[in-house]
Amino acid sequence: MSRHPTPSLISRSRSTADVRLSDLTVGAMARLLRTPMDGEMSRLLRAIGLTLTSRFRLCQNGDPCIIQVRSTRIGLSRSVASEIQVVPILDESC
Amino acid sequence: MPPASAAVLSTASPGPASGTSRVALAGNPNTGKTTIFNRLCGVRARTSNFPGTTTTLRSGRAEIAGDRYVEVIDLPGIYELHFESPEGRIARTVLAEGAPTGPVDAVVVLVDACNLPRNLVLVGDLLRRHPRVVVALNMVDLAARRGLSIGVDALARRLGVPVVAVVARTGQGLDLLRRAVAAAIDGPSQHRRTDLPARDASIETVSAWAEGVVSDVLDVSQLERSAIDPWTERVDRVLTHPVSGLLFFAVVMGGLFWTLFTLATVPMDLIELTFAQLGSAVAARVPEGPVRDLLTDGIIGGVAGTVVFLPQICLLFFLISLLEDTGYLARAAFVMDRVLRRFGLPGHAFVPLLTAHACALPGIMSARLIPHRRDRLATIMVAPFMSCSARLPVYVLLTSLLFANRPALAGLAFAGCYLLGAGAALLSAMVFGRTVFKGAARPMVLELPTYKRPSLANALLSAKDQALSFLRTAGTVIMAICVVMWWLSAYPRVPASAEAQALRLTAAEAGVTDARRDELLTEAAVVESRAAQAGSFAGRLGRALQPVFAPLGYDWQLTLGVVTSFLAREVFVSTMSVLVGGRGDADIDGGVIDSIRRMSRDDGRPVFTPATAASTLVFFVLAMQCLPTLAVTRRETGGLKYAALQLGYMSALAYAVALVTYQSLAAAGLGH
Repeated sequence: MSRHPTPSLISRSRSTADVRLSDLTVGAMARLLRTPMDGEMSRLLRAIGLTLTSRFRLCQNGDPCIIQVRSTRIGLSRSVASEIQVVPILDESC
Repeated sequence: MPPASAAVLSTASPGPASGTSRVALAGNPNTGKTTIFNRLCGVRARTSNFPGTTTTLRSGRAEIAGDRYVEVIDLPGIYELHFESPEGRIARTVLAEGAPTGPVDAVVVLVDACNLPRNLVLVGDLLRRHPRVVVALNMVDLAARRGLSIGVDALARRLGVPVVAVVARTGQGLDLLRRAVAAAIDGPSQHRRTDLPARDASIETVSAWAEGVVSDVLDVSQLERSAIDPWTERVDRVLTHPVSGLLFFAVVMGGLFWTLFTLATVPMDLIELTFAQLGSAVAARVPEGPVRDLLTDGIIGGVAGTVVFLPQICLLFFLISLLEDTGYLARAAFVMDRVLRRFGLPGHAFVPLLTAHACALPGIMSARLIPHRRDRLATIMVAPFMSCSARLPVYVLLTSLLFANRPALAGLAFAGCYLLGAGAALLSAMVFGRTVFKGAARPMVLELPTYKRPSLANALLSAKDQALSFLRTAGTVIMAICVVMWWLSAYPRVPASAEAQALRLTAAEAGVTDARRDELLTEAAVVESRAAQAGSFAGRLGRALQPVFAPLGYDWQLTLGVVTSFLAREVFVSTMSVLVGGRGDADIDGGVIDSIRRMSRDDGRPVFTPATAASTLVFFVLAMQCLPTLAVTRRETGGLKYAALQLGYMSALAYAVALVTYQSLAAAGLGH
């Protein structure tokens, strides 16, 4: 499904090098780039399934937001989402 | 190392042939581990704290073949073994050093068939750590419905360990699992494939390995398709919405607490009645004296004072287990996170905070749901501020003293007490967040499990477990407290006063009518119980502490009421009613309230002015006057430190706010 034209995958304009999870629009797919928060939080995110290799979809925006990695749905505080750097996957969305 | 391609079993190192074998049950959270454990062990399970921690570990005996039993240890749900958390540490300790009862002979790892890539990360960790692993592939029915066809044999060959497909909810495949466990225990150490990630590999390496395994046993395009679940998506949109989510939450919680309040009172009344009858039965058989008093008022009263909490604890954990099983509890925490985070509390804190409105004991126990220790401690510290049902009779008495003949205002004051308690809890959580527990609540990262039909068996077993663990650890302390408090308020015995004796003599005189005799004898009993109340250790303490409470406007009688209610708050009402000559029942009628309103100080001024009634009310809203709560706080936090802090903080706050209330109302001319 491509409800969103490619540019609107990111709601705020930032350089592509610094896109945060909280910048994505609902339905956008992305890949994790970096989790610059403390080790424990970063470790928890990876343990729950948000690893550097995984793709995820933003299901619900706001505070907190919901993302889905494969079949795992994860609720995230905005304070976490706004720190996670992502790479939007521009060729597909759902 | 064995050849890379092979999943061969070596013949070296045979498993234990005799004695009780131990099997550890591992798995990610929300994989149905509890259901499998309950199916294997049934009611034979017991819950205990892992040595040196406040984390509970369940274990039980399970029949695996014929009349052969193994001990099953239910490890806490974890995503990966190396994660630094109390749960991760316990899992590592059990695997490396064994369970508290001995070494672990085999590990069963439960894997969610719908979520293979992530679940296999834990499998990868475990394969490196234990020589005998059995994989139980759970929810294969759901996976099939989602179009996932997993080659079970292929997975077994790929991992080099037995893999059994099961459906925990229906029990399908459990016999196969039992046989596989027996074979693993008896069999030799399993050989490990060489492509396993290293023990200290990063999670990315283990994940990449897991992805590789998945692509060998499954068509990955199926995996992508199965992840799309429009139904869950739609339900989540409603249940986690800022408005409709909160509304739904209010309805569910309203239902939960209505059930808790209405259903729990039936067995609670029954328990009180039974113990009262038991007390009378003992009283009828044992001669009057200190032994009888100890038996009826001390011991039977103490046991009753402990057991009476059980209906609420059982019912609460039964309902929480149902909610958790459905998957809604995680959504509720998600919705409440927005609200509670402002006060430095996590979303999960809503369960303890709401439950504490029934009773702080189950409230504090339910704080176990909160994953992070700092957040759990902050919640436990403030939960007793919530107006529990024991405060109700006190609120009724004091608001009707404060606003006699003005029921609307009394009702408002009543509601105000609830708001004051809740407000104090939230603001205190903020204060604690800036002082004792530095830092904000850990930001939420929460798995939202798929919606499922709840399991009645899980809920019943959870209620049973929590009740037993409460009785074992807190129950004994609470009973001891009840006995000691009874002794303090009953001893030393005061000899019959001259006034009472004179009344009795008059009653015995010839020519006194029956009605007059009864009146005189009742009056003598009142005089005596007043004297006994004042002469007991608690009464003397009340008199001794009176100067401390004088700035709040309390005379010795009111101080006595406050001091005796440290056993339980509702004791305040019976103490007051004894002081005005009632029989000391907790249920008091309008006549007794009128007598309490007319109570006078030693100098003849009234005890209850608007200022003293208001300051007493405020004191009861905020003060920590519940020794059983402190016993549970001590147990749940693992030490006296936090119980002492809770007592000190709440009492100091109650004193300060009551002081301000009294002094400002007295200054406004309401002190007469």
